Amino acid sequence: MNSLSWSAAWRIARRDLNRRFRGLRLLLVCLFLGVGALAAIGTLAAAIRGELSSQGQVLLGGDVEVEVWQRPLTQEETALLERYGTLSQGLRMQAMASTDDAATPVELKAVDANWPLYGTLVLQGGHRMGAPPPGHAWLAQGAAERLGVSPGDTFRIGTAILRVGGIIAEEPDRLSEGFQLGQTVIVPYDLPRQAGLIAPGSMYETKTRLRFAGSPDLEQVVEMIEQRFPDAGLDISTRERASPGAERFVGRMGEFLTLVGLAALVIAGIGIGGGVASYLEARRAGIATLKILGASSGDIVRIYALQVGAAALAGSLAGLLAGVLVTPLLAQALGELLPVQTGFVINLPALLRAALFGLLVALVFAAPPLLRARDYPAMALMRARVAPLAQGWRGALLPVGLGLAGIAAVAVLGSPQPWLNALFLAGAAALLALLAGLGALIRRLAARAPRPANPILRAALANLHRPGAATSSLVTALGFGLSAFVLLAAVETSLDANIQRSVPERAPDYFVLDIPRDRLGEFEAAVEQRAPGAGIEAVPTLRGAILAYGPAGEQIVVSQLEELPEGAWALRGERGLTYAARLPQGNSLVRGEWWPADYSGSPLVSVDEELAEAIGLEIGDILTVGLLGVERTARVASIRRIDWESMGFNYVLVFSPNTFADAPHNLAATVALPPGGTASGLLGDLARAFPSSSVIEVGPLLVQARAILEQVALAILAAAGVAVLAGIAVLLGAIAAARAQRTYDSVILRVLGASSGQLLLLQLAEFVMLAAVLAVVALGLGSVLAWLIVTQLFEFDWLPRWPRVLAVLGGGIALVLVFALGASLPVLRARPAQSLRTL
Amino acid sequence: MTSPPAIEARDLRLTLGEGSAAVSILKGIDLAVAAGETLALLGPSGSGKSSLMAVLTGLERASSGSLHVAGADFAALNEDALARARRGRIGIVLQAFHLLPTMSAQENVATPLELAGEPDAWDRAAAELEAVGLGHRLSHYPAQLSGGEQQRVAIARALAPRPPLVFADEPTGNLDAATGAGIVDLLFARRAETGATLVIITHDEGLAARCNRVVTLADGRIASDITGNSGRDTASTSSPVSGPLSGAA
Repeated sequence: MNSLSWSAAWRIARRDLNRRFRGLRLLLVCLFLGVGALAAIGTLAAAIRGELSSQGQVLLGGDVEVEVWQRPLTQEETALLERYGTLSQGLRMQAMASTDDAATPVELKAVDANWPLYGTLVLQGGHRMGAPPPGHAWLAQGAAERLGVSPGDTFRIGTAILRVGGIIAEEPDRLSEGFQLGQTVIVPYDLPRQAGLIAPGSMYETKTRLRFAGSPDLEQVVEMIEQRFPDAGLDISTRERASPGAERFVGRMGEFLTLVGLAALVIAGIGIGGGVASYLEARRAGIATLKILGASSGDIVRIYALQVGAAALAGSLAGLLAGVLVTPLLAQALGELLPVQTGFVINLPALLRAALFGLLVALVFAAPPLLRARDYPAMALMRARVAPLAQGWRGALLPVGLGLAGIAAVAVLGSPQPWLNALFLAGAAALLALLAGLGALIRRLAARAPRPANPILRAALANLHRPGAATSSLVTALGFGLSAFVLLAAVETSLDANIQRSVPERAPDYFVLDIPRDRLGEFEAAVEQRAPGAGIEAVPTLRGAILAYGPAGEQIVVSQLEELPEGAWALRGERGLTYAARLPQGNSLVRGEWWPADYSGSPLVSVDEELAEAIGLEIGDILTVGLLGVERTARVASIRRIDWESMGFNYVLVFSPNTFADAPHNLAATVALPPGGTASGLLGDLARAFPSSSVIEVGPLLVQARAILEQVALAILAAAGVAVLAGIAVLLGAIAAARAQRTYDSVILRVLGASSGQLLLLQLAEFVMLAAVLAVVALGLGSVLAWLIVTQLFEFDWLPRWPRVLAVLGGGIALVLVFALGASLPVLRARPAQSLRTL
Repeated sequence: MTSPPAIEARDLRLTLGEGSAAVSILKGIDLAVAAGETLALLGPSGSGKSSLMAVLTGLERASSGSLHVAGADFAALNEDALARARRGRIGIVLQAFHLLPTMSAQENVATPLELAGEPDAWDRAAAELEAVGLGHRLSHYPAQLSGGEQQRVAIARALAPRPPLVFADEPTGNLDAATGAGIVDLLFARRAETGATLVIITHDEGLAARCNRVVTLADGRIASDITGNSGRDTASTSSPVSGPLSGAA
């Protein structure tokens, strides 16, 4: 007679399966949490990526955008672009906006009448507009607030007076503008020139956007522009990668959060294993009965695999549904940081990936107990004494191996960073093994520890190591989750402390751009008047691109490189250039010599050590830069090391003063207020006296950077929260599985005269012992990982705020204890007489 | 024509545990049971009755000796083959009923039929429950049935596939005297209808007296084997070692 068919097995399985999945709820909850987290992360990332790619033209403001520093496109360049469609000219620069009472640095965005080529600008009140009419400006809410103006009021930019035409509600191409140094003010294209902001050497960037008339090949158009103007310093973006920074950020965050979610799912896996094991344990008699009725061990595996599979599918489907439902809420929480498709998003690949992860983790963790169940002897019904069960893990090797291979394949394939994912998985596996080993060690130690004289403590200690105790899985599951909390708290407080410590000491309070070089003394006097004792450091600022480098006669031409050498980011497009008579502060010479202060020989240059290493530049080599359309050559005289953390003006290339003496340029300055000093009125004074200069405030930038950091930390915390929830589900499952044994102990102790208080103490003692172990595990493991991240990844100092870290850990453990005691209450309520009849 | 014996055991031995913990439970059992015979296994607790039944039903493999049950060489079969050999051929009634608590009475009775691949399992289960007087309890769960009713469902479940061989381990052990007597009547009546061979393990000499053969175990060995009992409930009066397989499914 053959094995039971799958359909017959399903009939029996369905009959035996409780409609509300009683007994399998731990599996259901664990999969719900894990798959839900992964589905939400995947769906959200897909919704953002979808928006970025479908809105590419709107985000970029065209099909192609050509950026260049300190000049508009030449007639020749413009003519080439015009062959493909309509152009919109734009200009972006830092500026100062002021009224009689207030002044604020702004990000000036000048646009012509064709703007926006795609999308619409929406003002508060719902008006959909294009470029502002002459004499008008659209202001970001923040700029209007700082100036204290509303629509209809006037304000100054440079020498021009503008009327507030409206407050910006939605700026279509905001995301492709990148990190902003001030609040946006949109003005007509000619305004900067009319206001005296554009002069030779002024720091500005022009952006020419192109909207295709037909549908030419995008890559061919880009290639054509690059080939025609290889040395023009043009920076070209396309609609397909309108916002590469945002795309990279979303991609990396999505992957990272997926990995955190996967870690949560692995913890959930421990719960799945425990849940399935206790479910089958409770069905031991049923399994034995089926065997007596003629079911083979293969039939048993089929019947119960179908039940577990049905529950896993139900849990995963519920998780997918929750993931889809929660995405709009997450999208709302993201605020204006990133664009997200509105409403419910159903991204099949993301959902499929989440479901696959869930089912594969269920397979890995449910297979061992399922395959052990086939060995439950039918004799168990007839005699208490049966041969002990073989561990039978060998039988589970194939399904577990297949499941693990599947998880690795799903995690690694289709990921933009397969190696990182593989490394993470290997690390997570090693961590799990370490924790499992630790759990086993604790059990062994508890078994060998001297017996406490107090019977309550003795019973509590015994609960940690008696057969069937869930100590190992609890240490693994909760240890993992709580370690994540410690890790986050330690990393966050360390980064915060690093920023706090370095900013007041080293970062200036203001950067001031475009100070005419003949008015430096006037500028210094203006600052001294409003902020006595302020430190001012001024440097010449120019922009240019490196065109060629290398030994004389054998120079490598940058435009002919197929690929930039790794780390040679300074070769891409135009960079800030400067000259100096003395070695800049915070720099140190590595090789070569600095030129004398009055040097007047052939032009020399000092190069940053990292760039020199990346492109193999040596002392004596020749460097050619393009500056305002003129090629200039200098010999490498020295290699410098730059302390980038100093947050001052740091230039990769510093030339000898005579190199650019004839080039038109302005100065930039840092202003560092004396400790505790203020500079009220300084911005207003500068706006009036230096209308063409602009100021960047460091404080708001740090606030902005910290806000982004906090949002990232929040996202990670949310994903780690799922890990802790999964850990708590494992805890509850373990308590439920051991409830019969605990009830028995409690009843016997009560019969022997134990009070309710003593019984509560027994439960508490056990969980406190476990919590103490978990605290040590989490503190040790989380700190080591956080130290690695802070010192090795961020290269920051290790400055965690321990009170905060301990408070976070304490909160997590308190949560665990509350859940543990709550779940133990039925044990305390058991009535001896009633229980003894049923035990 | 002489039918082959339903059970033929030679020098059956069973040892549990290993080394110093080894316990010898069955110490050389020779037993032949004719088809259609009713046999009572008597003996004090620990004499090896339940172990002998476990070996005879293939729930446990003998440590040594030869065993043929319903024509199959049990000594040569592995656990899964033994499970398949039980399907439809051996029915077992246990002292503690052991109904599947998550299934209704009808589902419990249908399960062995489905395991045996019977196409009309559902209807036959209903008919079988009707036959034990529980036609009105088809959709009740074990927890909703009295002890006597549960044991009747267990009997229906054991007999539903019409097995030629039925074992009952202390079938009245968990029931009061009156209910127990009713269950025994039912068991013998159903056996008479099917003509199956019946092996009952019991302490109860009155129950044993209703069988036409009584084998008494003591310390893992057969202490006495009395045949030719009046067997007032047996359908067959043939010799103790061979008999007709009348009514076997």
